[in-house]
Amino acid sequence: MTRQEILDQLTQIFQDILDVDDLVVTDALKADDVEEWDSLSHIQLIVAIEKHWHIKFNAREIMTWQNVGQMVDTIVQLLAEGN
Amino acid sequence: MMTATQLSQQCPELTHDYVVTDRVYDAFRTCSGDINALHVDDGFAHDRGFSGRVMYGNILNAFLSHFAGMLLPTDRVMIHAQDISFHAPFYLGDTLQLQVRCETVSEAVGVVIYKFKFTRDDDGKRRLIARGHIQIGILA
Repeated sequence: MTRQEILDQLTQIFQDILDVDDLVVTDALKADDVEEWDSLSHIQLIVAIEKHWHIKFNAREIMTWQNVGQMVDTIVQLLAEGN
Repeated sequence: MMTATQLSQQCPELTHDYVVTDRVYDAFRTCSGDINALHVDDGFAHDRGFSGRVMYGNILNAFLSHFAGMLLPTDRVMIHAQDISFHAPFYLGDTLQLQVRCETVSEAVGVVIYKFKFTRDDDGKRRLIARGHIQIGILA
């Protein structure tokens, strides 16, 4: 799966969870950029992403993410590891 | 502190009976202020094909609150989200059985999602009353 394919699928997940139909997810996107991306929405996003790709994030690692790009880096890594 | 994984292991599933008593009904009617005839007028409900006053579906959400707050093996929890669909009416005096089963665990964000259903014994057959999911967050 390419990085762009992951971003495209994340866009669908983000639009659904945050209820923002025109949101386009990019590497640079941050929580501060989207009003609807609050702490509970963040939890919902993590749960939805874990279910979508059948992966499990590490609590410490997700605390270090500064933007979606770093989230995608982790997804790519977990998918490569077959997590 | 209990982790999400520990909660899912200590409470992978659970069954509990709830009775829709006069007290429950009166408390919910007072709390909600909903005096729609379907819920307070036996004749109105009967004319529309129901056995009697239809109980408020959202009484079940109060029962779910009891499940989360009182039946789970830790009090360090809060409800993040829940969804529910109503499949059959229930009535005053009914005993409803809640069955919950752990469906999803996310240790990364301290979340356990339970799938639940409420059923009623109708002449030996369990009738589905409502079902849905409840997302439990673990408090630090």
